[in-house]
Amino acid sequence: MYRFKPFLIVAVLTLSAFLTFGCANEKKEAENSQATTEKAEKAETATPKEMQVGFIYVSPIGDAGYSYAHHLGELEAAKLPGVKASHVEAVPEGVDSERVLRNMARKGYKIIFATSFGYMDSVIKVAQEFPDIVFEHCSGFKRAENAGTYFGRMYQARYLTGIVAGSMTKSNKIGYVAAFPIPEVIRGINAFTLGARKANPKAEVRVVWTKTWYDPALEKDAAESLLDAGCDVIAQHQDSPGPQEAAQERGVYSVGYDSDMSSFAPKSHLTSAVWNWAPIYTYIIKGVQNGTWRSEDIWWGMDKGVVGLAPYGDMVPQDVRDKVGAEQAKIEAGHDIVFQGPIKDQAGKVVVPQGETPDDAALLGMTYFVEGVVGTAN
Amino acid sequence: MALRVVKRRNPPAWSAAAILVCALVLSLGVSLALLAAIGKSPVHGLVALWNGSFGSLWAIEDALIKAAPIFLCSLGLAVAFRMQVWNIGAEGQFALGAMGATWAALTFPHAPSWVLLPLMLVYAGLLGAAWGAIPGLLKVKLKANEIITTLMLNYVAIFLLEYMVYGPWKDPASFGFPVTPEFTPSAVIPLLGVGRLHGGVLLCVFAGVLLWAFLRYTRLGYELKACGEGAKVAAYARMPYNRLVLFVLTASGAFAGVAGFVEVSASTGRLMTSIMAGYGYTAIIVAWIARLRPVPIALASFLLAALRVGVENIQLDMEVPAAFGDIMEGLILLTILSGQFFEQYKLVRKGAKNAPAPSASQETAP
Amino acid sequence: MNFDMVIALLAASVQMGTPILYATLGEILTEKSGVLNLGVEGVMAVSALGAFVVAQATGQPWLGVLAGGACGVFMALLHAVACVVLLGNQVVSGLAVTILGLGLSSFMGQPFIGLSAPGFTPFAFPLLSDIPLVGDVFFRGDALVYLSYLLPFALWFFLQRTRLGLEIRAVGEEPEAALAAGLSAERLRMIATLAGGFLIGMGGAYLSLAYTHLWTNGLSGGRGWIAVALVIFAFWNPQRAIIGAYLFGGVMAFQLRLQATGSHISSSLLLMLPYLLTIVVLAASAARGRGDEAPAGLGVNTAPEE
Repeated sequence: MYRFKPFLIVAVLTLSAFLTFGCANEKKEAENSQATTEKAEKAETATPKEMQVGFIYVSPIGDAGYSYAHHLGELEAAKLPGVKASHVEAVPEGVDSERVLRNMARKGYKIIFATSFGYMDSVIKVAQEFPDIVFEHCSGFKRAENAGTYFGRMYQARYLTGIVAGSMTKSNKIGYVAAFPIPEVIRGINAFTLGARKANPKAEVRVVWTKTWYDPALEKDAAESLLDAGCDVIAQHQDSPGPQEAAQERGVYSVGYDSDMSSFAPKSHLTSAVWNWAPIYTYIIKGVQNGTWRSEDIWWGMDKGVVGLAPYGDMVPQDVRDKVGAEQAKIEAGHDIVFQGPIKDQAGKVVVPQGETPDDAALLGMTYFVEGVVGTAN
Repeated sequence: MALRVVKRRNPPAWSAAAILVCALVLSLGVSLALLAAIGKSPVHGLVALWNGSFGSLWAIEDALIKAAPIFLCSLGLAVAFRMQVWNIGAEGQFALGAMGATWAALTFPHAPSWVLLPLMLVYAGLLGAAWGAIPGLLKVKLKANEIITTLMLNYVAIFLLEYMVYGPWKDPASFGFPVTPEFTPSAVIPLLGVGRLHGGVLLCVFAGVLLWAFLRYTRLGYELKACGEGAKVAAYARMPYNRLVLFVLTASGAFAGVAGFVEVSASTGRLMTSIMAGYGYTAIIVAWIARLRPVPIALASFLLAALRVGVENIQLDMEVPAAFGDIMEGLILLTILSGQFFEQYKLVRKGAKNAPAPSASQETAP
Repeated sequence: MNFDMVIALLAASVQMGTPILYATLGEILTEKSGVLNLGVEGVMAVSALGAFVVAQATGQPWLGVLAGGACGVFMALLHAVACVVLLGNQVVSGLAVTILGLGLSSFMGQPFIGLSAPGFTPFAFPLLSDIPLVGDVFFRGDALVYLSYLLPFALWFFLQRTRLGLEIRAVGEEPEAALAAGLSAERLRMIATLAGGFLIGMGGAYLSLAYTHLWTNGLSGGRGWIAVALVIFAFWNPQRAIIGAYLFGGVMAFQLRLQATGSHISSSLLLMLPYLLTIVVLAASAARGRGDEAPAGLGVNTAPEE
């Protein structure tokens, strides 16, 4: 005879307990929410001109990485008078992003920020359907009448972190854990290398691709593989602090990315190249509010505070700080000194002649590594 | 109190519906309690979910579009599952289909759409079918377990897609981003003229009718439908078992391949790695929950797609993390799956006098 | 690549392989009873979080490991209730558990991102670490690595030499015959699934307490799926799982190190290799007539006795 075992009874009881709990809560919450919606409605009638601003993120904002940095910008934007900001996170690129964009537009959002490169086609498509709504796409190159693009010159901060790393390395080998071989990452590696070699002409930068943005375990091992190859400073273009941990465990230095990563590796963290999106978001939202907005390509750098350096670790000596400070002052004054000819590629061929600087199109399409990088750019 | 399980002799017609309702109530209850636990209003959540899923024609349209690839993969899987062939590989077959369609689109960019679209369909179907035939051959010739081979081939397919997009097919004009060139307009499945619904949805209807007719009007289909045990089907249909295994794996691969074609042509218009959104795995669940029948598969794909679309609305309105949707989906699937037990069996108090008399005779039944 | 780098590669293979090894052993135990648990990925994610939270709160890494195991048991219980007790399809239930587990861990884990917890750090194993080569590769790990050396043998002993292990295998091989012999399939499958869940949970705990010392979304990173593949690669043999786990870990570690030396081979193609290899190994041994090593009752539910 088949008998029900106690565990089933327990399981069923737990589930039903959950259910009753849920229902009981529901009622209470129902009353509460009614009250709050009434309040909200009243508030809405009081300030009828509140503008809804939407953000879509490719990853969960809890990742402390790229989307998190954008979310900090969103929170700043939400503080602007007359602005109500909201977001949808973990939206895959493609058909899903198109739907989310369209739904935001239908819900009456006035400005929509799409923060990942892969949203580009969707943004252009949906922007055509909603000519009265402002779309802004981060890191892309397609624009429309009502769709602009924006990005930050992260390479400027990379260049400065490169100077720090180049000054601190003893083995003259710096490891760079990188996500995907796309121009944004390659440009950062090149800028970092130029900085490192400015401080230390013998320095070389070794690159390992993980093909992940966020896999702490794998990225940590990627850093270890670089340490095994003799590197004694680790930099990263990854959203996870895995590489920082690896550096700290081996007692070498590290350079972080996205936001200040010092909490993950206080003993090894030299500095981080960090994002600060608030100035761009504020500028765009205010532009729309004032009616001065137009579709443009915003590519702001350190002079506008969009990228920067995290506070130095104690181990960074004063002369290094001074060296970086001098370069930083030039960049902040608006002189983009990072890519200046002559620049040679890995084969030693001059790609940017003496006295010239690549234009933005060349920077955006950068797919080669400069001299001093060990690894392949694809 | 001791309970025992008794097989229901004639499951009442309403039981499936009742169980579905119970499962939904249970899983929604737990999910909403979770909402309450993080200080969000469950009622507001329920309303936002409803509005996002079914609250407007747009929502329904979105769900239909999202359901299309799940539905197509699921149809194919249903054929294999009816033969007790456990094809877990729809994800990989989908990837191969998308690559096939892309291959055609990139090779003949200037062909008119009445030539190119069918060509893409054929390429996608063939590559998907071929990817399904590999585990089929391994099973038939070497008796290799298809659960494992199909699962492994999913990874191989995804890495293959990644390789193509990063390497040979990378768009030279994309600034190095890992995407293929945009398809020419003739390689994009046209809209139907009803809202944003595209021809892929029509293709789904066609595929569904095709499968339904196959199950109903062909001998093989009838046997597949009537009795779910591989060897028996083969015997009744007077076909060698091995050939049948190969047939169902190839067929389900072709269906998934076509799903890949629809996704890459109608939805993204170019191949990129983000098209691999797990439809192939979702389809397994859908096929099973729907008991491998075409109409319920359509319904289940639509409901699941609607749930995913609706959850975005909760996120937007209430700032709830995206993971909430996964929890809800997982709970709904688990409870529906578990609930199906009570359609077949019922609980009776042990030794209770009101236990139905026929149960005595049931005890000897298998 | 010089000699030191080879040593480092081998040592990294062991480290990358360890979480997969735990999960694989858990899945072997589960599958030996005839239950296929495709939810490993979700189970690992929840356990990694559970282990981290407890270790962080108590300061005790070992309590964290226990908590990880307990979370594994809980998630396995969901699977077991759905398919052992309520006879749901095992593939579907496993997939649902994966979705649920990834969602739960991400949802509940939000407040713990960015914190760090006490975990396990490598130490040289006394005496054994002095053995040339072997010592460097195997005996400079952390406590959970050393524990993982013993587990496969313990599991093998349990399955082959104890009465309970024998009964579990019997239920997995021939459920009908086992039933006829008076064994309760339900009880045995439940035990195996829950115990397997504990081991899988330890694999999750390894990720957040030893591999890294932090919690984030996506910490499992597909390792649960690799474990499912490894079970077959190992032919349900715990000892062979060691080789498999280090091989899979080794390929991951190798492709990174190959790049670090400046090589130009596509990483997509390299990463594809272990999966292709699994298919080849499976096919080859099946061709030699050894394809039947899968528990015959795997994935087949037994109807309640009446």
